[in-house]
Formats: sequence, structure tokens, C-alpha cells
Amino acid sequence: MGKRLLIFLSVLFIFLLVSIAHNIVRGDSEFVGSEVCKDCHEAQYNKFTGSIHGKKAIPGNPANREGCESCHGPGAQHVEKGGGRGVAIFAFSKKESSTIRDSKCLACHEDMRGVENWNLSKHKSFLVTCHNCHSIHSPVQKKDLLKSPEPDLCFGCHRNIRAQFNKQSHHPVKEAFVGRQALKCSSCHNPMGTFDIKTMIKADSVNELCYKCHAEKRGPFAFEHMPVPENCLNCHEVHGSNHSRLLTRRVPLLCQSCHNSTGHPSRPYTNLHSFSGSATQNKNRFFGRSCLNCHGNIHGSSLSEFFVR
Amino acid sequence: MKAEIIVVAMMICLVPLSNAFPQDNKTIEGEVGVTGVWIDVHGKEGGKAKFTEYRDLREDGAVFGWARLNLDTDKYFLNFDAGDFAYDTQYYKVNGGMWGKFKFDLFYDEIPHNITFDARTPFIGAGHDLLIGAPNPNFPAWNTFDHSILRHQYGGGFKVDVIRPFFLDVSFERENRDGIKPIGAAETSPGGRAFELPEPVEYVTNNLKVAAGYAKNPIFLSLNYIYSDFNNSNTALSLPPNFNITNEPHALSLPPDNTYQKGAFKGAVSLPFNSRFSTNMGFSRGRSETSIVSLISSGYTGKVDTLNYDFALTSNPVRFLDAKVYYKYYKRDNKSDDPTGVANIFLNYRISTYGADLGLRLPESFYLSGGYKYVKTERNKRGESDPAEILPFNMDNIFFVDLKWSGFDFLDARVGYEKLDRDAHYRTLDSALNSAKRFFYAAQNKDTVKAAVDLFPLENLNFGLEYRYKKIGYSDTLFGLRNTLFGLRSDKRHEFNISADYMIGKIAKVYGYGDYGWIKFKQEQTAGTVPWEGDQWDKTWGYGIGAEVYIIPKKLTLVFQHDYLKSNGSVDFTADPTVLPPGLFVAANGLGPGSGANNDNIDIGRWDDYALYSFRIRAVYSFTKSIAAMIGYAYERFWYSDAQLNNYIFAPTGPPASNAAFLTGAYKDQSYKAHLIFGGMSYKF
Repeated sequence: MGKRLLIFLSVLFIFLLVSIAHNIVRGDSEFVGSEVCKDCHEAQYNKFTGSIHGKKAIPGNPANREGCESCHGPGAQHVEKGGGRGVAIFAFSKKESSTIRDSKCLACHEDMRGVENWNLSKHKSFLVTCHNCHSIHSPVQKKDLLKSPEPDLCFGCHRNIRAQFNKQSHHPVKEAFVGRQALKCSSCHNPMGTFDIKTMIKADSVNELCYKCHAEKRGPFAFEHMPVPENCLNCHEVHGSNHSRLLTRRVPLLCQSCHNSTGHPSRPYTNLHSFSGSATQNKNRFFGRSCLNCHGNIHGSSLSEFFVR
Repeated sequence: MKAEIIVVAMMICLVPLSNAFPQDNKTIEGEVGVTGVWIDVHGKEGGKAKFTEYRDLREDGAVFGWARLNLDTDKYFLNFDAGDFAYDTQYYKVNGGMWGKFKFDLFYDEIPHNITFDARTPFIGAGHDLLIGAPNPNFPAWNTFDHSILRHQYGGGFKVDVIRPFFLDVSFERENRDGIKPIGAAETSPGGRAFELPEPVEYVTNNLKVAAGYAKNPIFLSLNYIYSDFNNSNTALSLPPNFNITNEPHALSLPPDNTYQKGAFKGAVSLPFNSRFSTNMGFSRGRSETSIVSLISSGYTGKVDTLNYDFALTSNPVRFLDAKVYYKYYKRDNKSDDPTGVANIFLNYRISTYGADLGLRLPESFYLSGGYKYVKTERNKRGESDPAEILPFNMDNIFFVDLKWSGFDFLDARVGYEKLDRDAHYRTLDSALNSAKRFFYAAQNKDTVKAAVDLFPLENLNFGLEYRYKKIGYSDTLFGLRNTLFGLRSDKRHEFNISADYMIGKIAKVYGYGDYGWIKFKQEQTAGTVPWEGDQWDKTWGYGIGAEVYIIPKKLTLVFQHDYLKSNGSVDFTADPTVLPPGLFVAANGLGPGSGANNDNIDIGRWDDYALYSFRIRAVYSFTKSIAAMIGYAYERFWYSDAQLNNYIFAPTGPPASNAAFLTGAYKDQSYKAHLIFGGMSYKF
């Protein structure tokens, strides 16, 4: 461990040293002004001026700088060549690399709260750009200039997560009877990146995230059930499950994934132990809520090391 | 309740303030609307609750109203959004401020979680912290109540922008949760009668968040503080005197009051070579107190500290290279009171993670990324004295590689593979020999394969296809040999998802999706009298199709949506025939004498089986640009069948009598069928 850490720190140090010694200088070109852009792109111009980017009251906004050219770059050559999509202008097309497209937005937004870790984002690693989710000129949702509202926006790419939310036990993310939405993907995830690089959750651990809404599970309990404080995901799915309470597996098999000892924890609870089964003995370890019929305080208890009180 | 009324009143009072705004480029737009719903639900108590699980559709009819107002000037903005007035899903949101100066928001939000209506208990006092009465099997005469919880959240916050590049964000929210949920209790363990009881839920949680810092390229600095306190009005559920408990107190403990504080620092600095260094450090302390502790006469004080610090350096020095290196550390320290004899239940752990990712832009529009991550988890149970129960350390080696190709404008394709190799280091010989190796710390091998294709063959046609395969094998190496253990042995999954949408000129938009999921868990038990294996399957498939047809453009639109989802779960049990031949199961097995159990009739065929069918159609007619009317019909059907809940008995009696149970009916009879007819009007301005 110590050796590996030393290597890691050495690499980090060398990289920082080389980085600091280097600088990039960029040249400027000629700007023509937004009014010139309006001559050909009136619809886009009007949407821009009516949007948050067109507010002059916001310091550093494109409206206070080069207007359209703040993002699209100097337009003199574009005008000289008679226009055309991508002709001597930055058009945010797929031909431009995702890094360059993002850099146009990050030039202003990199120091914005919530975006400061875009460099860590899994989205960035998968070449997802700002424009995959945001639309500057035609947002469907004005707030955050989203292309479509959550969760549909996220489900567009995360099809397996959409399938999980369709399952009978799920967090109320897709519940919207008359435009209401209780919980959003962004309630738990920051798509702009966090230090949880893979899942981009808005917390330093899974449990810390879950406890934000489930504070009663936080404890600390006098009697802890060991898998609970380590990771809620030992027993629960996050987005959706076929089993009630978002359990990964059905009780008692979930409990029997860990518990084995002589006596009832190890016995096979089968179809015969159901309400309509023929084996009546030990029924209360299978039917109803099974193990939880007795071990109700499974997240922790103040009274029982077996979580029965 | 007073606080809730104040928040809502404040929000409503703020709306007329819009008139006070200056007239420069003032834009006001909004919408008000109302929708009436007639509901016809067929189902039992569980089904009616399932139908309205996160909704408020319990009555035969409902009228939902909503209102939205957006005001925007060159300097100010104000937005108001509210709906579902007077229902358990009502919400009110106001946000506003001065562009570039400050922002504020206020909100009030409700959402129910309905589990089972008309649940039963032989006791009196459901919803309170004192249960009285005697358990009896005459369940038709039991008292009824609802397993249902309602969350009310309200609060607000403000952000100060005028001090840029410095910033200050403050927010506060309170959540009240009220209702009843099921909780199990036993007189003794092991054995004894089981009681499913109505747990009173009267929680109040207050959360305060403050963030202040400096944000101006190339530097981002932020100090964050969170304070959260959770208060439970009921620290215990007092049980009836005839509840056969030998140890005092005569109660079931409920979640204790707790507080949580966290201070954190986040920082980032942009460096040359398109590089950025980021850090995140935090310290938290959680505390709880309760006087209901059996082993400590003076009560119990819980204290858990966590510490984390993370560093990352990312760089995109040249166009074709993305690089990332990171280190993370997380520690949990349980410093709670040490009740005599139970100290080993306190879990402490440290997780150290470091890794590096590399992304390469290759010729022909290929992008190759890959990485390595090493995670070391060190657990210990405070005060553990049994060498067999000393928890192991885990060392995870994780490799991943992804290849993306976007050579055509109309196609993106991606394949990826991830390998996790977890080693469990048992620190004592006894713990290595102990068969009790829980799956979440046992050695494991995990392989994940992903493949996805996104096609855009036409400008208005999108088509996506995705496949995932995951296999986790749990095993432990003992003296170089793979050892057969108990518990979860493997977890294997296939997921297949497809989606498409097509805009047919200005005539219609059609869309659809299809999903298939296959999960198999394999587990076994060796410690009991009858060694057994169980293969648990979940097979889920579903589809959805929908269309928006613009019959008269900008006038009449027809919207149609149909979804179907079916899940088939099962468990295939196999008892070891070398120990007990099939057909000769005896009482010691837990299967019961004379049950006739054998490997052919013990399998579970109904294991959270369900089918969800829904169909919705609505027509929207716009009389003018401002006024629109809508009428529609929806049909929902949920069919549910499960071995544990079918043919439900509230008071199974055993034998033996010590195995009797008194249940509330939680989650029983969840099937339902519902017709909804709805119509409404909206006005935009």
C-alpha cells in the first residue's frame, strides 16, 4: 500500500511540475458583433437575447462580452465567406471534438458551483458534451436550459435505468400525474461530476446520500446490523426492483445470503411453507414479510441484538 | 403545521410583488389549469393502496388545479409554480431574485407513500406509541388502519451573486413525515410468536446547508457546512402487558433522535495543459440519544465520525489524450457507548481508493478509454474478541476498457468491459476457516460487458440498442483451494434495452421502447440439517409505445401511450439427496413431518410475479393560443401473485403455538384494475 501510494504521489508531483511550467497562449481574431449575426440568424438572435445568456445584468454574460461570438467565435471570416453551417465559424457540430465544444461553455461555467468537477465526470469521459443535454437556443425546460425535462432527458441514454424505474418497486421519480415531480435524477446525482467518479452521486458515500431522505436510518444505533452502516446497496437496489422496498432479493433468501447457523436461519423455506403450503411448522419465517415478521428493526435497534425489538 | 402555513402564505404573497417590478422589457407569462378525474378502482385494500402508491387518487373523483407564473425583466425574475391544491401531492414553489445579484427560493411539497389500506391489528392504539389489548385470532374483529406515510417538505434558501467571485448559498428545509408503517417484533429470539405491528411515524427532520467560497477561474474554493437533526416523537412502541418479554423495557425501540453535522472543503484549480487539480475533504459527526436501551441503565449515546479526503488531477494536454489520476480516502469511526457484551456490533472501516483513467482519440473516429482502480477496505468490529469473527480486509483490483466509434454522423457505437477482482484477506486462521463469509466482504470476481448502438438514420429518427451482461462469482480461497461456502454464490444478469422515436414531418411523433432483464442468484446453505441450494430467477420484460398525432396542427392533438411490464420470479430449490433422499424430509429439516416434501414440489413458482398494463389516450384541443381543453381516458391493471402473500392469513396459529403470528396484512392483495376518465381546461397568458 505504502509503495503504491508513493508511486501515485510521485506521478502526481511530476505532472503538476510539468503542468505549471507550461502555458498556452491563444490569439484573437475579428469580431463583427451580434447585430450582424441577427441579419441572417434572427430567430436564434431573439432567443439568445431573451434567454439568461442575454441578460446584461449578469456580469461576464455573453451579452456583456462578444454576444453570439462569445460562444461561436469571431465571425468576420464567416461573414466574408458568405456564411453557411460551420463555415469559418464554430457551430458546435459533431465534427468538433467534445472537449473543444465543452470548452466554449466551460470558459464561463467552469467556476460555477456544481460544475467545478466536470473534469471528473463520467459523462466527460464518455464524450458526452454540454449540448447533449442543454440547448442554448431551444430549451424545452427554461430552468437549466435542458433539452427535455428529467427523467426523460436521462432515460434517453440510460435505458437500463428507465427499465429499472418501471419496476413495481421504485423511487417516485417518474410519478407525475399533473406535472408534479417528487424526486429527480439530479436529486441524487450531479451529472456534471463529483468525486464519486463512476456514479456521480452527490455525497461522499452511498449511505450519506440515502440518509439525506431517510434520516431515521442514520442512527447511530446501540445495536448495528453490520451491512447497514457499510452500504445500503448490500440489500437495496437504487432505482427499481421487482421486490418491495427496493430489495435486491426477496426475504428470506436475501437474509440467507449471509446468515447460516443451525436452527431457523439455515432451513429451506419453500413453497410448502406458504400460507397455502402443507408444512405448517416454522411458518412465521416464510410467509408475510418473512424474517421481517420478527426482525423488524433490521436497520438497527436500541433494544435487541437480533433486531426483534 | 404553522410553519407550513407561513411558508405557503409567504409564497403566495410574493406573487403580487411582480407588479412592483420596473417596466423595462418586462415579460409576464403564465398558465392556470384544472383537471377533473373520475376514478373507478377495483381491488382489495392492498390493490387500492398500490394504485395510489405515490398519488392521491383515493376518492372516486378528484379535481387537480395548477398555476404557473413567470415574470422576467432585465433586472428581476420571479417564478411561481403550484399544483394539486389541497391534495396529498400539492406543491408550491417560488423562486426569484435580481439577475447577477441574488436568488431566493421557497417551496412546499407533499408526497404520500401508500402501502396497504385497511390493515388490521388485534391491538388498540395504531398510530400511537402505546398498544393495548390482547392478541387473538378473531381477525375480522380487529381494528383497522392504513399503512401509509405522508411527507411534507418545506423550506427555502438564497444565493448571493453580487459578491462575485465570492459566493454564499444558504438553504433550510424541514421535512415532516406522518403515518404508519409495518414493523415486526418477536417475543423471544430464536422462536416465539411473531407480531407485525403498526409503527407510528411522526418524524421531523431539519436540514441547514451553508456554502461559501470563491469561484473565479482558475480557482474554485468552497467551504460547506451541513446541520441535520432528526426528531422522532415516539422513541418506543410500548407493547401490551401480555406480550411475553422477559427483559424490560416492555417495548419495541423506534429510530432514536439524531443529529448530523458535516464540514467540508472543496477546491479546484485550473492548470496549464488543460489540466485541473481538484480536492474534496470532509469531516462529519453523527450523534444519537435514546433512553430505551436494555443494557445501559443511563441510556445510550451514539457517536459516529467520518473523515474523507479526495484528490484528483485531470488533464487534456493534447487533443487526443484525456488523463485522470485520483486518490480517495473514507473512514468511519463508531465511537458510541459500549454496552456491555455487545461491543463487537460496532463497525469501523477505512476505504482507500486510487486509480488512473486514460482516454485516447484514435484515427477513424475511435475513442479508447481505460483505467485501473485499486480499493482497499479495512473493516473491524470494535472490541471483537472472537478470532473467527475478525472481519477481513478487501483488496479490489478493477480494470475497465471502453471503445467508442462515431465514424458516421448517423451512428455511435460503444463496447465496454470491466473486471473486478476482489481479494479477501482474513487476518486470523479462525476467520479464514469460518464458513460465515458474508457475500459483501467475501472474495469475488465480477465481469461486466456493455454494448450500445445509437442510430440516427434520418434526421428525425433516433434508435438505440443496449445490452449489458454482469456476472459476479463469490468464492474464497483457502490454502490455495476454492472452498465451498454458504450463502450467496453467484449473481448473473442480462439486460437488453431498445428505444426509438420518430418525428413524421409535422404530422406525428411516435416512440417506443422494449426491455428485457434476466437475473439469476445462486445460493446455498450448509450449516443446517439439510444442505440445500436455491436458484432464484427474476425475468422481466416490457414494452411501451406512444404517439402524438397532430390531427389539426396547432389545434387538435391526440396523445396515446401504452405500457406493459411483466415479471416472473421463481426459486428452484434442491436439497442434498446424499443427506436426505428426496421424499423423506422430516421435521428436523424445518419442512414438517408428513409434508411429503421432495425436490419436485418445494420450488417456489410465484415470487413477486406481476404484470402492469396501462393504456392512456387524451385529446387536446386549443381553442385559441391561450385556451385549451383536454379530455382523456386511462386504464391501469396490476396483477400480483406471490407465494408469501397469496391466500393471506392474518393469524396463523402454528403448530406449535410458539410459532403463531399476528399480521397486519401489509403488502397483501396488491392487484388492482382502474379506469380513469379525465378532462380539463387551461389558460395561458
